[in-house]
Amino acid sequence: MSELYFKRPMPHGGKLVERVITDRKIARKFLESCTRTKCPVYDIKPTLHYKRGVPVRNVYREIMSVCYGFFSPVEGSMTSAELESVLSKRRLLSGWVFPYPILFDISKEDYKALGVSEGDRLIIRLKGKPFAILDIEEIYEIDPEELANRTFGSPETNPEVVREKFDDKHPGWVIYRSHNPIILAGKYTIINEPIFKPPFDRFWLPPRKCREVMEQKGWRTAIAHQTRNVPHVGHEFLMKNAAYTGDVEPCHGILVNAIIGVKRRGDYPDEAILEAHEAVHKAGYIKPERHMVTYTLWDMRYGNPLESLLHGIIRQNMGCTHHMFGRDHAAVGEYYDKFATQILWLKGIPSYGFDKPVNEVEGGLLIRPQNMREFWYCPVCKEMAYSENCNHSKEKEKLSGSLIRGLVAEGVQPPVVIMRPEVFKVVVKWWKKFGYPFVNEKYVQWKEEELEVDLPDLD
Amino acid sequence: MEYILEVFLDDYRLSKIKGSPVENQIEAVFGGELKVLRVKVGEELKNEILKAFETARIDSRACITDTPVAFKRALFEEIAKQKSLGEGVVKAVLARIEEIKELAAKESEYLPPPDIETD
Repeated sequence: MSELYFKRPMPHGGKLVERVITDRKIARKFLESCTRTKCPVYDIKPTLHYKRGVPVRNVYREIMSVCYGFFSPVEGSMTSAELESVLSKRRLLSGWVFPYPILFDISKEDYKALGVSEGDRLIIRLKGKPFAILDIEEIYEIDPEELANRTFGSPETNPEVVREKFDDKHPGWVIYRSHNPIILAGKYTIINEPIFKPPFDRFWLPPRKCREVMEQKGWRTAIAHQTRNVPHVGHEFLMKNAAYTGDVEPCHGILVNAIIGVKRRGDYPDEAILEAHEAVHKAGYIKPERHMVTYTLWDMRYGNPLESLLHGIIRQNMGCTHHMFGRDHAAVGEYYDKFATQILWLKGIPSYGFDKPVNEVEGGLLIRPQNMREFWYCPVCKEMAYSENCNHSKEKEKLSGSLIRGLVAEGVQPPVVIMRPEVFKVVVKWWKKFGYPFVNEKYVQWKEEELEVDLPDLD
Repeated sequence: MEYILEVFLDDYRLSKIKGSPVENQIEAVFGGELKVLRVKVGEELKNEILKAFETARIDSRACITDTPVAFKRALFEEIAKQKSLGEGVVKAVLARIEEIKELAAKESEYLPPPDIETD
């Protein structure tokens, strides 16, 4: 029988990247030697929208995700050769699949003021305190517009799945378009572990720890659920039903992994997203023994199939055996085919460098996709139904996050068949705190000043 | 292609259209838990709405969603006034676009939360 069991996949690249100095004595000595040798110091600034000047990204989230191993095998800011490899083949120089440029970008003015060169060590500060170091291997210049265009592609270069030209209505394109032109490439090391604020502290589970917890819980198989939303009943049914896959029995666990970072207006605040997912198991809609809420720090690029690659990498690194993918995965607008992610995982997308499914290419992923279609409310079946089972497509009533946002904004409590009352309570809890149920300009400004973390004193 | 604007109805709104021809066009959805009016618009009006409001989007049901509450309120007012679900009500709302944008700007800062107990 055990031959039929699935094994937990190895981390992407074979080994978890862990570039965090956890011993504070060593960290202090490290910092002292940097100070003695007069290492240059750079204070992280949020990336601002290239036109509107509002925050769209904070590179600290990428440093955290790299150093704690979420993005294994990436170890730092990419060199020009690595960047070219990612843009042209979606592969790191080592041959492992990776979808996005990960870059430490600074302005020309800051570059001049820092006076750094290749071979230097840079102390990176966050909120005025030492946070990480960057060992600079290469310094080069990029054209942010070209970077943005090449990152996502176009209907001409990626005709299989790209339907519209990317522009400044696409938040991911805007993030790359808003990058500064000077790239400092090299490995990051966190020397001062940030302290997470509530409620983020209780959901922080980096890959090594997550794998340990899965072992403790006896989760041989675990399916990942990507989210940037508070869960409606359709999400709950997606989770429950997708988890019926597994090996000889349904998946032992459902790992909810929220993407926490700058979001688009109209999304829910990060705090509400995490606690609303927690409410699903607290209220018993899914047993807490089988459902765990976690997150990854990342300013979402909304790159549908490309984002699904990153999600697969993150959740494989966290120890999941499966990943559920639905319609319009990590998408916004109509830039992509609605099932672009499923096309990538089922057939491949040659123009993105995948002539076969992602699991079958060299350097590909081991996590298994569980591609799901849709759930809708069927007034005939009188239940939440799966589109491939229920034959009442004429009568179907589709749930959507937008429908629920419309209800919430107008002060109408969503019916229980749409959103669980416990989940709605969480939405209202954070609505009361922020004076608004969704992400707005004020929340983004506040959040990017406060961040999810504080830094302890190190020196 | 046809796009849909949904207007959810609470008791107050139901009373405003009682006895009018649009009352017969009320749809009950989600097991009868929600009552809604649906206004259908073409490509041109859909584009005008998306252009007017940065947050507006098309969801998987071809519904135009995430428009400001002020827009939805004005849409209902026009429905109640014109007693119709035709494109004319949307055109009338778009004729008031500056007033709606002003209200929308205020509501993007604050929306009163419902008075329910939270932990």
